[in-house]
Amino acid sequence: MPVMRQVRFHGRGGQGAVSAAALLSMAAFEDGFESQAFPKFGSERRGAPVEAYVRISDAPIRSHNQVYTPDAVVILDATLLRAEPVLQGLREGGLALINADAAPALRTEPTGCRWLAVPADRISVAQLGRPFPNTALLGALAAATGWVDLPALETVVRRQLGGKGEHVVSANLALLRQGFELGQDRRAT
Amino acid sequence: MKRQIEGSQAVAEAVRLCRPQVIAAYPITPQTHIVERLAQMVADGDLVAEYVSTESELAAASVVLGAVAAGARAYTASASQGLLLMTEVLFNIAGLRLPVVMTCANRAVGAPINIFNDQQDSLSLRDAGWIQLYVESNQEAVDTLIQAYRIAEACELPVMVCMDGFYLTHTVESVDLPDQAQVDAYLPPMHFARTLDPAAPSTLGGGSEPDNYLEYRQAHHRALERALVEIETAAMSFADLFGRAHGALLDSYCTEDAERILVTVGSAMGAVRDVVDALRARGERVGALRLRCLRPFPTAALVQALQGARRVAVLEKAISVGLGGIIVTEVRAALHHAGVRVPVDGFVGGLGGRDLTPDSIAAVFAASAAAGAAPIDCCFVDAAEDPPSPPPASPVKEPLHGPS
Repeated sequence: MPVMRQVRFHGRGGQGAVSAAALLSMAAFEDGFESQAFPKFGSERRGAPVEAYVRISDAPIRSHNQVYTPDAVVILDATLLRAEPVLQGLREGGLALINADAAPALRTEPTGCRWLAVPADRISVAQLGRPFPNTALLGALAAATGWVDLPALETVVRRQLGGKGEHVVSANLALLRQGFELGQDRRAT
Repeated sequence: MKRQIEGSQAVAEAVRLCRPQVIAAYPITPQTHIVERLAQMVADGDLVAEYVSTESELAAASVVLGAVAAGARAYTASASQGLLLMTEVLFNIAGLRLPVVMTCANRAVGAPINIFNDQQDSLSLRDAGWIQLYVESNQEAVDTLIQAYRIAEACELPVMVCMDGFYLTHTVESVDLPDQAQVDAYLPPMHFARTLDPAAPSTLGGGSEPDNYLEYRQAHHRALERALVEIETAAMSFADLFGRAHGALLDSYCTEDAERILVTVGSAMGAVRDVVDALRARGERVGALRLRCLRPFPTAALVQALQGARRVAVLEKAISVGLGGIIVTEVRAALHHAGVRVPVDGFVGGLGGRDLTPDSIAAVFAASAAAGAAPIDCCFVDAAEDPPSPPPASPVKEPLHGPS
């Protein structure tokens, strides 16, 4: 039986949710998997809620549907918890990875999801001077799930961000690794 | 070489491999990434072509008309309102029998304004005299674009390659991009016998009178009918050379022994295949048929593929408002004309980006199976019970910004 992993990213326009999904799918491709990434744009403006989806499988992926029952959700902006049904459909025991210092206390906790909080904005500001949370969260996702390797993520970050200059590449590589370490450390949360 | 690449970027690579000499376009979501990438290739010197950034889609279509009339291989792309703005020129391109190739990044048509996918835009132009091919995946979008130039130039007819906006254009998935030598072997340099030549002046697009206009239209119709063979040939020789096939006129899945067959168009077929597998695992003898070519309409092949079924359902992302489904009407006519008496149920769904989920598709199969002797005329898939008021009557929650 082929194994299919599905990830749903929730962010706001400008945070890099769509890029994160593309990078994840490219890393999965580097690792030899079939993969697919695509965005769901709202009104395509900065600050508007954005979703992006990734499928990773060991067999060809035929469906181009949105992801309704993710194995992991990645929440790039914690304020979306109040605005969007970010945990909807999350598989039992699935991972909820959030850009925050600590997992939120929710009144309606979904069944048995696993929280992982990574302060991606904070470490991005330290590295880049601006909050670009996506690469740190990708590192954490890789560590917490094992669905892609850190070297594969490093390869695609180098390739895809290469045009933006060496400073951006090295800062994002550092963010990937920091996110990866935090993902390992905080797995038990 | 296999690459994990966005659909629009992959199509731009395919265009580059076809060595176009003129590209003219006006950007519109969800086509933008294709022409943006092509403009970048030209600016970087990776593609030697004239890139004309026009002031409108009407102008873009006019530029490719002129370019091809002058013997150049040309490309344009559009969607939705942009495609409709091209309409006048698209009819002229076809009537002049110019081998233009374009991509339609299928998108809904306003009003209400909607940037998301359905196939109303290109289906509204089904009578424009173009060959229309619809693809399921980004690999097929690339391969079909290359085939399109060969078909267009062999038939002296324009070809529109239609790919679902967002579902394909914005999806990053693996695509095997052929190398230049392979494409050169498949697609010879453009030779257009009726090229305008200042050394031998002639008129292209002169007037026609009541005593010969009808014959021009008849000849155009016959040319499209003959193109059926060229479309099949192009797909077959592509498979020989590149080792990949996506069907030719049709693409069937588990239809051989199927009692019930779902007919659809475009990227929704991927999820339909998954649903067919799930239903077959429960013992249901179902199959699916994708119309890859909608113009010319593949009547004979369609009748052949459907005549063994007990029931047919058509699921389409467009509507002839006031009639019902467009494709279902054509499927019914084809079967009726051939004397095949099978009930054909009509389903319209996925409009304006509404996702046709596996559950929705399974519900279509179930509704068709449960229907009585009289076919379902036009069922709107997943439609709310209470339809909204016409757009001007709805309250404005926030100012509308964003792309057109």
